[in-house]
Amino acid sequence: MPDYTLTANTPLDGFSRDFVGVSICEVNERAIVSVAVPKDGEEKLANALASSYEIELPKAGILSAASLDNAVLFSMAQDQYFLVFDYAGNTATSVVRSHLNDAAYLTDQSDSFVMIRVSGTNSRSLLERICPLDIHPSVFPIGSVARTVMEHLGTTIIHEAEDSFLLLSARSSTYSFLDAIETSAVNIS
Amino acid sequence: MSQINRIDSGLIDCAQKLNFTFNGQTLEGFAGDTLASALLANGYKMVGRSFKYHRPRGIFSAGSEEPNALIQLRSGAYQEPNTRATVTELFQGLEATSQNHRGSLKYDFMAVNDLFSSFLSAGFYYKTFMWPKAFWEKIYEPVIRAAAGLGRLSGEDDPDVYDKGFLHCDVLVVGAGPSGLSAALSAGRAGARVILMDEDFRMGGRLNAETLSVNDQSGHEWATQATVELSAMDNVRLMTRTTAYGAYDHGVIGALERVTDHLVSSHNKPRQILWRVYTKRTILCAGSTERPIAFGNNDRPGIMLAGAVRAYVNRWGALPGKRVAVFTNNDDGWRTAIDLAEKGVEISAVIDSRDGQPPVDVPSGATVIMGGRIVDTHGRHGIRSITLSNGQNIPTDCLAVSGGWSPNVQLTCHQRGRPTWREDIAAFVPGGELPQGMMVAGAAAGNFSLSSVLQDGHDLGNMAVSDLGFKLTKENAAISEEETIGISAFWHVKESKARAWLDLQNDVTVKDVKLSHQEGFRSVEHLKRYTTLGMATDQGKTANIPALAVMAECTGKSIPETGTTIFRPPYTPVAIGALAGRARGKDFRPSRLTPSHAWAEEQGAVFVETGMWYRAQWFPKSGETHWRQSVDREVTQTRASVGICDVTTLGKIDIQGKDAAAFLNKIYANAFAKLPVGKVRYGIMLREDGIMMDDGTSARFSDNHFVMTTTTANAVGVFRHMEFCRQCLWPEMDVHLISSTEQYAQFAVAGPNARKLLQKVVDNDHDISNEAFPFMACGEITVCGDIPARLFRISFSGELAYEIAVPTRYGDSLVRTLMAAGEEFDVTSYGTEALGVMRIEKGHAAGNELNGQTTAQDLGMGRMVSKKKDCIGNTLSERESLNKNDGLSLVGFRPVNPSDELKAGTHFLAKGKTANMANDEGWMSSVAYSPNLGHSIGLGFIKQGSERMGEVVRAADPLRGGEIEVEIVSAHFIDPEGERLRA
Repeated sequence: MPDYTLTANTPLDGFSRDFVGVSICEVNERAIVSVAVPKDGEEKLANALASSYEIELPKAGILSAASLDNAVLFSMAQDQYFLVFDYAGNTATSVVRSHLNDAAYLTDQSDSFVMIRVSGTNSRSLLERICPLDIHPSVFPIGSVARTVMEHLGTTIIHEAEDSFLLLSARSSTYSFLDAIETSAVNIS
Repeated sequence: MSQINRIDSGLIDCAQKLNFTFNGQTLEGFAGDTLASALLANGYKMVGRSFKYHRPRGIFSAGSEEPNALIQLRSGAYQEPNTRATVTELFQGLEATSQNHRGSLKYDFMAVNDLFSSFLSAGFYYKTFMWPKAFWEKIYEPVIRAAAGLGRLSGEDDPDVYDKGFLHCDVLVVGAGPSGLSAALSAGRAGARVILMDEDFRMGGRLNAETLSVNDQSGHEWATQATVELSAMDNVRLMTRTTAYGAYDHGVIGALERVTDHLVSSHNKPRQILWRVYTKRTILCAGSTERPIAFGNNDRPGIMLAGAVRAYVNRWGALPGKRVAVFTNNDDGWRTAIDLAEKGVEISAVIDSRDGQPPVDVPSGATVIMGGRIVDTHGRHGIRSITLSNGQNIPTDCLAVSGGWSPNVQLTCHQRGRPTWREDIAAFVPGGELPQGMMVAGAAAGNFSLSSVLQDGHDLGNMAVSDLGFKLTKENAAISEEETIGISAFWHVKESKARAWLDLQNDVTVKDVKLSHQEGFRSVEHLKRYTTLGMATDQGKTANIPALAVMAECTGKSIPETGTTIFRPPYTPVAIGALAGRARGKDFRPSRLTPSHAWAEEQGAVFVETGMWYRAQWFPKSGETHWRQSVDREVTQTRASVGICDVTTLGKIDIQGKDAAAFLNKIYANAFAKLPVGKVRYGIMLREDGIMMDDGTSARFSDNHFVMTTTTANAVGVFRHMEFCRQCLWPEMDVHLISSTEQYAQFAVAGPNARKLLQKVVDNDHDISNEAFPFMACGEITVCGDIPARLFRISFSGELAYEIAVPTRYGDSLVRTLMAAGEEFDVTSYGTEALGVMRIEKGHAAGNELNGQTTAQDLGMGRMVSKKKDCIGNTLSERESLNKNDGLSLVGFRPVNPSDELKAGTHFLAKGKTANMANDEGWMSSVAYSPNLGHSIGLGFIKQGSERMGEVVRAADPLRGGEIEVEIVSAHFIDPEGERLRA
């Protein structure tokens, strides 16, 4: 065994900050695994999901939420889904594989993204400055998910709960992304 | 002077006094004033000088169409020139100065221009200053530039903050006048998501300036009531101080919100917000703009648009003059006389260009002249009297002019819609194809009576929401008294001998338009360019139609036959700062940081931007005073022992599926189908046209799982290309791609002690000896106690080298660990410069060589393009022109004189040949100083290079000057047999 140990860090070291009517906080201890559907394997994957997570394959733009590991599944591209669930270890794909077996091609994406929650009564006002999508509840109700671009950065936005949105963006540009969100918070406050 | 012309409160708040300065003089106004109304209330007539002739100019309008009253606001870095006093909301502490004069406003040295006006007609500068030729750049142009222009920029960085944002609605109503309010009420009551925006700080539009009643109450009271109702609706958003300035593709509207322009300080909040509005329907209720009549000396301070005169009186209680004359060609002009008379203002005369009887009762005491003409005016710094065509002279200190109203059709033209002429109102109305989802209501559509405007807005609001599936309410439109709106077109007084202005902002006169016609510039577009008519901040809102009419007279055609200008965004000026928004300085674009960034910063690394990435360029050590010292040390130390470089930025693509190998076989030009599990292979990728696209490696972790690396620069492009191939070219394949660039922190560990160093961190159950893990091996391992990692035995430096990847969360920790573990080997970190030096020493191609022009053959890799399989680019790579025997090849170069420095970009010439393109034999693509060889080395492309080893050619640098002799050598300066990397 080597004499050295490695220490993990999160993209924002657990950042959290409150503004008037809006809170911004990093979300950690959630894993992200890409679940890709093998050719002609949709039914097999659907069955595996139903029997393990007790959810269906969601349509584009809608979350499927499971009680197992507080998992949510949403479509990211043609034949590709992201499963986000409670897990802080290093082998997220092993966890998912234990449920889905070989029904999908799995890729760990837990370290690829920063997850930032924007919540509070002013959350939509904040996002209005950077999010080109219409996130009014009548158009983007709770449980909706969409991919978009915010301040030149690819972003996935999830309407988690009333006045609460989860944003996923690339880890390497975390600080630019956070700066965009914080600037918006300052500008609207 | 203290508000000597304030006659009553109008709609302003007299309880809230505001102090401001104009040209250093402290003045007083009230909340609700504009700068223009406050200046008028304080008795100011002259507020600026004209553009070319430096003629005294006063406030002309009461809105955004203002051509004259351009003011410099604020001071220092906050100074903003060319702001319109007519739309500048007064605030406590406002600082305003007049502009475009040398000396005081009253005594402007540049007013001498007016004396030479006959020499300064339109186009004069096209015809003069022709000689001596040398004078143009040194004398004429600087002098003209110094004299031209209006206000002055501060020359400092704009300290204000700007923002932008995105809005969405079912119905956007542009303009909150009577039609806009009616439309918003209809749409809002039906439950649609409505945005109502207006450039004014008070909703109501012309209702605030008129005395007409709506629903048996004053117009402004009805407007207030409607605004209150709308503001109570959750589905309606009201935006004052917001101008819809452009209609863009797909029904998107650009709007500028002036958030803090009415405050003395922004307190670091956004001063303005540029909104992109996504709407299903737009109802344009932009109203109309009054236009003047041209007659002799019609530009004097005190000559104003008639609607503006009554707006100042009715809304702001500010009197533009105490003895007012009216000159009109329509019924609306009479309302000014009536409203002012009711306020007790003396009406000296009403001159109507139409014959017949007055359309309304004549105000008492006023002289009425039907069929009259004003031929001249008098008064140096403000109008004192007018002269009629019959010679009669009438004293007046304010002349209210109305030439009719032009619908504000600008936004309807932004998608090339051409307005159409309506003879009955002598104006253009929206025509042709309107921007997607746009409807036009009220005066903007040419409906001028208040009752029709209210009905029109109501109906279109209903129509819009009905189209969108909302259920209509049973509310009726507000009703109003009917007023007369008759007009008879009358554009300019032909009897005038003096200059008659059409475009006040650009000093364009009737004579200029006639000259334009005389010289053949007769289309409206040519007229504009020849005379500058309609340019600058007002975009000819008051000038275009009268000028067009004069041109029509010259050509003998009708106005619609003569044409109209197509309006482009923006409707009113938008500050460059607002367009830039937040994207300034470091926020111009996002930054990407490597996992070792924080550690590298601690080491004092010098960073370089590669795309959006910040990469450590070199790591200076104490005592190193030049970057070359640092780089030479990093190279030498790495080749002598071991070095570490963060290579996370290289693109990483995870490829899975039963057809993954077959897919790669088609993507790469060389074979990948039979790559064994646990092996890495270098691959080259071609574009469809056979040119090199990218290179990299792919590692096989299982039968169905590969990990590809790409160059940093092409990471996104290659991924996109592969997705296109997967989804569109070969959808039958079972293969999936996902980027894992962000997922892994990856470090190159290079040098003779690389293995020894890694063995200190790799868990013991993984054998990375040369036998178990030879050159081009790969594997999934664990490090530092079960932390998952990937190890690749690949080398860019030419040394014994590995690339080790761990989940990004461990990247920072891993680099610190490797540096600590490497202390016994005198490990060094190295940056992109040392990386570049070592790859040039090794002869590896990189971005400079894969520049989109070169082929595999040029790079000496022609044989890698497999002819046994199909792949992207294979067929077109066989084109004859790409396979000539005398083609370029990549070789090495060294200076004949070792002290000479090679330069990238130099071109190769045979000895004795002239330096021109005909003799060009190739170019130097990459150079470096090799600390191992002790001289400069280079890679480059030269014709038949591989057959010319030892030949000396010239490397010429015509652009920067100089040339040296270089010898063609092997591109592999270091370890040509590859013994080190296999050690």
